Formats: sequence, structure tokens, C-alpha cells
Amino acid sequence: MRLSFPSPEFDDLVAGVCHGSATEAEMRALNELLRSNPKARDEYLLRIELHTRLASESDLFSQLAEAAAICRLPDSNAGIQQSIFPLNPPVRARRRRLAQVLALAACLTLIAGGAWALWFKGSATRNGATSTAVAMLTRTVDAQWGQSTEPPRVGGALERGTLRLKSGLAQVVFYSGARAVIEGPAELQLVSPVEAVCPHGRLLLEVPPPARGFRLRTPQLNVVDLGTSFGISATGGQSEVHVFKGKVELVSGTAAKRSLDEGQAVVVQGRGQPRLTAASAETFASLFEFQQRSLASEAFRYEQWQFANAKLNQDPSLLVHLDFESPGGTEWTLRNAAERNRSVREAIIVGCARVEGRWREKAALEFQSVNDRVRLAIPGEFQALTLSAWVCVKGLDRQFNSLFMSDGFDPGTVHWLVRNDGVLGITVFGPDPGKFQILASPSVLSLDTLGMWQHLAVVLDGKARRVIHYLNGFPVSQHPLKFGPPFRVGSAELGNWNARNGPNPAPALIRNLSGALDEFELFSRALTDAEIRELYAKGKPGL
Amino acid sequence: MPSDPKHLSGDQAAAQQRFLSLFLRCEREIFRYVAVLVPNVTDAEDIVQQTAIALWEKFDAYDPGQPFAPWACRFALNKARQWIERRQRWQALLDQGLAEELAQRRQELQPELELRLRHLAGCLGKLPEGQRSLVEGYYYERAGIETLAQRSGRSEAATYKMLQRIRHALQVCVEDRTKPEVA
Repeated sequence: MRLSFPSPEFDDLVAGVCHGSATEAEMRALNELLRSNPKARDEYLLRIELHTRLASESDLFSQLAEAAAICRLPDSNAGIQQSIFPLNPPVRARRRRLAQVLALAACLTLIAGGAWALWFKGSATRNGATSTAVAMLTRTVDAQWGQSTEPPRVGGALERGTLRLKSGLAQVVFYSGARAVIEGPAELQLVSPVEAVCPHGRLLLEVPPPARGFRLRTPQLNVVDLGTSFGISATGGQSEVHVFKGKVELVSGTAAKRSLDEGQAVVVQGRGQPRLTAASAETFASLFEFQQRSLASEAFRYEQWQFANAKLNQDPSLLVHLDFESPGGTEWTLRNAAERNRSVREAIIVGCARVEGRWREKAALEFQSVNDRVRLAIPGEFQALTLSAWVCVKGLDRQFNSLFMSDGFDPGTVHWLVRNDGVLGITVFGPDPGKFQILASPSVLSLDTLGMWQHLAVVLDGKARRVIHYLNGFPVSQHPLKFGPPFRVGSAELGNWNARNGPNPAPALIRNLSGALDEFELFSRALTDAEIRELYAKGKPGL
Repeated sequence: MPSDPKHLSGDQAAAQQRFLSLFLRCEREIFRYVAVLVPNVTDAEDIVQQTAIALWEKFDAYDPGQPFAPWACRFALNKARQWIERRQRWQALLDQGLAEELAQRRQELQPELELRLRHLAGCLGKLPEGQRSLVEGYYYERAGIETLAQRSGRSEAATYKMLQRIRHALQVCVEDRTKPEVA
């Protein structure tokens, strides 16, 4: 094959290279041409550069999309077709690279998609009203979990079963109050709120008076706690118990029951007799250091979050970003941190207590009374909306618990909420008064998840005419949307609702949230699955 | 207290922060550098990812007194080479020194390319709606060609062809806008 320049064949071939569809013979022909013809080579470079810029300068589009959004009419046929497409369309994440690098920095494989999906399935199918949990994971440092277990989440409930920690440290608090710090590699079987088995690994146990009688077994030892702090180490046929405070009762093999006092330790090898030695704090130094490390790790996540925000805040489609950190002009305002949209400068805090957020240093606002709310006014009409929030729900007291709601029932506005049965919902008001559509997920917030920081998001895609609800980065439900754009927000509230000219006050109209918020984002476009996952990854509390 | 090397020390965390900010600042540049050799976007992105990992592994060896981008681009070139070696098609394209020649020549042409391509945003704005949404779908949203074809009711081949035409129109437009200034 010989290629001439300029020629339509050359044009097609360069396009084929850009699209990745050129054959080997074609590429060879192009190689010959480019090596022998400097004009062709320069022309090739210009075309490639143009293609590459389009692919790498997202600013080119986001500004454009914004301008176009206002005059673009929805194609309703295409929309219906789109809405029946399966979840996770083959969209290659635009910001995949960034995610990859952030994941790298966090020393973990971020796209543990499979594992997350598993975790998610577990919590979604869990019955909302009952719980078989025996403990809670409260803190981790650099924790890597074994593949055969679903990675547990910090703040999440732990059900009866085996925890496999490959490396790092994790703190488990049993419902009895006993507190175990585990160092990986370790395995811990959670049996009940007062009992656990450690086949191998090292751990430090603190047992407050109410949990007295807590039992811990290793292959060689059976320890009954009598109100103490003690360390356990179990490795290949050898078990040790070191008592640092108080006293434990101990059974080993056929040996008689004996008690062990503060400062004492016992080592058992294989089936041998227990050997008494002095307790060594050195052996458990890393576990004692835990608190310190856990603080450092928190600070690191918090910094990563701030860092990721600096980039996010440049997104032109980001209308509002309340990080609850940027002080507004006064102490009762929150500054909008979105850099490219200054039409919304501040949000106004009414009531609300200031509390700790996802990290110790992070500020949050708690909503408790019917007066508590954060008010915003967002002008404009939009073809799509994405809402995202980090919420710690304390209770689902009301029939409708407001996350973010436009005042009243105006055409094109939305109400985003959690229903008292753990359903995520959004109500979209149609162009004609009185017309609306409720799009509700299955029940996904269960009692186990109350008190945990969770990421909630919803995408309202006017073009594809569809709504997707997300919990912790994963889609939980998808619905066709009856009404097309434009959508509006107008005057709205976080954590509450202003019924305005609605009907007479009725219980359903009191919608204040019981819980805390520490981040809120509003975008004027439909974020992809991958982008929502990234928002979650950016803000999730633990590594 | 003994410190266990497998845990993240404060120093390491700081190093990661430093690395991230350096890398993100020149990520685009690295991408374009790679894409001169392997213009297919997803392939180029894969190479950039591999480069990021290699850079982080060798970050200890980075001399902060030196600019980061050229250091990173050397890694990118290596990663691209390794990637190309395993793919006969791309080897055919870049054989016999063409890879080096393209990288070198692009460097020389840089001011000229810059002069033209700064009109790209303006030219994009001039595209008819249908064309612009196709470009946006392909380059920005990164939708697959099947999706784009379905959306517009064209065949996949016709969608590729359309993209080619649009790029041509953009090129004509930026050339036009460049001329008066050259004259």
C-alpha cells in the first residue's frame, strides 16, 4: 500500500489512527509517508494536536455545555430510549486518571468495584428493622482487608463472622463495650457482643466494667476477662496473653483454670504447658500507638479531601459547593466554594448546632429542631441537575426528612428527601401546577447505618429523561422521568422545607432533618456513574 | 515507639501530597506528549496511568531542583515505548525512528501549534448544534461510539466519519482565524 499526500486516503488514515481503527498495513504506509514527506509529517502533527486538545481540555466543553444548555431542546424520543438502557453505560470516566492517581496516593486500589458492589448488596438487602450486628468498626489506619471478606466501612456495623485484616490497624468496638485493636495480618471471628476468636494475629483488648466476662479464644488459650486491658498474640502454634491492667482468667488445654494479674504474661507453645513471664508492652507497641496513628491518618484523608476540592471547585458546572468550612461574610453564613459560579455567594444558617464532621478537624452542622435549616437562593434554569451530600442521619423522625428542597411546589423544582422507611426520594414538579412525579429508591438506609456518614446523590438528567439515586458511590435505582427540562431550584433549604403557600400545615409538611450535614454540591449537569463514584471516593471518611 | 515501615509515616504522606500536586499540574502535558505517539485517547490514557505509577515508585529519585514535567515525560516516553513494543500495529506506525522524530518535531512546532489552537474554543462555539454535541459526547463525556451512533441515529462508521469531518471543519476554522494575524 502506498499513500500519497495530500489525499483523501491520508485524511481517512489519520482519522483511523485517532480512533484506533487503522490496520497494521495502513499504519505501515503512514509510517513511510511521514518519514519521507516533511509536509505530511507537519500536517499530521497539527491534526493529532487538535484531536489531543479536544480530548484533554475539558474547559473547552464545560463552558460550552453551560451556554448551550439554556437553548437546547430535549429530544424526547432519544430520552425514552436512553432511560431504558442498563445501568453503568459504557462511559469511560473522564476523570479516571485523576481517580487513579488519588487512589495511588491513598495506597489502595480505589476501583475495588467488585468488593464495593458486594458490600453494597449486603447492606441494601439487609432488613431495615433488625440487625444481627455484634460490633462496630470505629477506626482504621492503612487497613487492607482480606479478599474473602467484604471490606467493612468505618462507622459501619459488623455482623457475626470473620474479619480478615491483611495489614494495617483496625479498632472494633463490641456492643458490650469491649474494644479491640487488631493489627494485620490477623483474623478475628466475631461470635457475639461478648465473645470473639482469634485464630492468628495480634490484638489489644480493653474491657470496661459493663463488658466484664468478655471471652477471647485462641487455638491454645481461652481467656475470660475480669475487667482489664490485655494483649493477645497468636502465631503458628504459639499463643501469648499479656495483662497490662486488671486481671484475666485463663484456661489452656488440660491445665486447670488460673488467673493472671497485671504485669504478668503467659506463653503457650503447641500443646505444651503454659509458661509464665512478664508482660511486655513492647510487643504491643504498635497497637498502643494506634490512637496516635489514627489521628495522623484522619488528618491525611482530610487533607486529601481539601486537595481534591481545590480541583473540583474549578468545575464550571458546579453551581454550589458548601464545604461547611469556608466562612461566609458573617458567622451565620456559609460561603459557596464553587469558583466558577458566583451567582450564589452564600448560604444562610438558621439555628443548627456546630458539630464535628467526617473528620475531627472538619466542621458540620447538625439539624435537630424544626427551625434548623440552611437557606439558599439559586437562580437559573437547567437541563440537568446533580445533587450530592454527605449526611449523618440520626433518626428518620418525619415521614419526609428533607435533604434539599425548593420552597413550595413551583413548576420545575425539586424536593430531595429520605423517607421514614429508608427510601431515597426526589419529587420533580412538572411545568403545570399540581403535576409532579415521585421517584423513590428501594429502602436503602437501615437502622444499622444511622449515625454513620453516608454519601447520597441523585442525578436528574433532562436529556436522557432519567433519574438515578446513589448511595455511597453506587447507583441504587434508576427511573424514567416524565417531565423534561428546564429544572429550577430558586429559594431552597438544606435540612428543612419552607412550604410557603402550600395547603394548611399538616404533619407531612414538617420535614426537618434529624442529623448532620458536612458537604453539599449542586451541579448543572448530569454526572456519570464514574463521577459520582469519584465524589464518594473524594469524601469517604476512611482510607 | 518502634515504627513499622509498612505504615504511612507523616513524611510519606507529605511526599504523596507533593507528588500529587506536581503530577496533576502537568498531567495534561504528559497526556499530549504520549498522544503524539499513540493518538487513540483511551490507549494514551492507559499509558499515562502507567506512567503515574512508575513516577510515584521512582519519586524518591526526583530532584526537586529540576522541573517536574521533563522528568515525567522521560518516564512517559519509556512507558509508551514498552506499550508500543507489545502492539504490532502501533509498532508499524512508529517504526524506524518515527516516534523520536515526531516527538522532536512537535517540540519545534510548538509555538506554531499554539498560535493556531488557541482559536479552538471559538471555533467549537461556531459548530452547528448536532456536530457540537457529537464532539462533546466523544471527547468530553467519553461516550462509546455505539452510544453516540445510537443517539444520533447514524451507523458507527458514519459517526466516525462525522467526527473526522468535524475535526476537519475545526482545522479549517482555526487556520482561517490564524491567517490575518500572520499577514
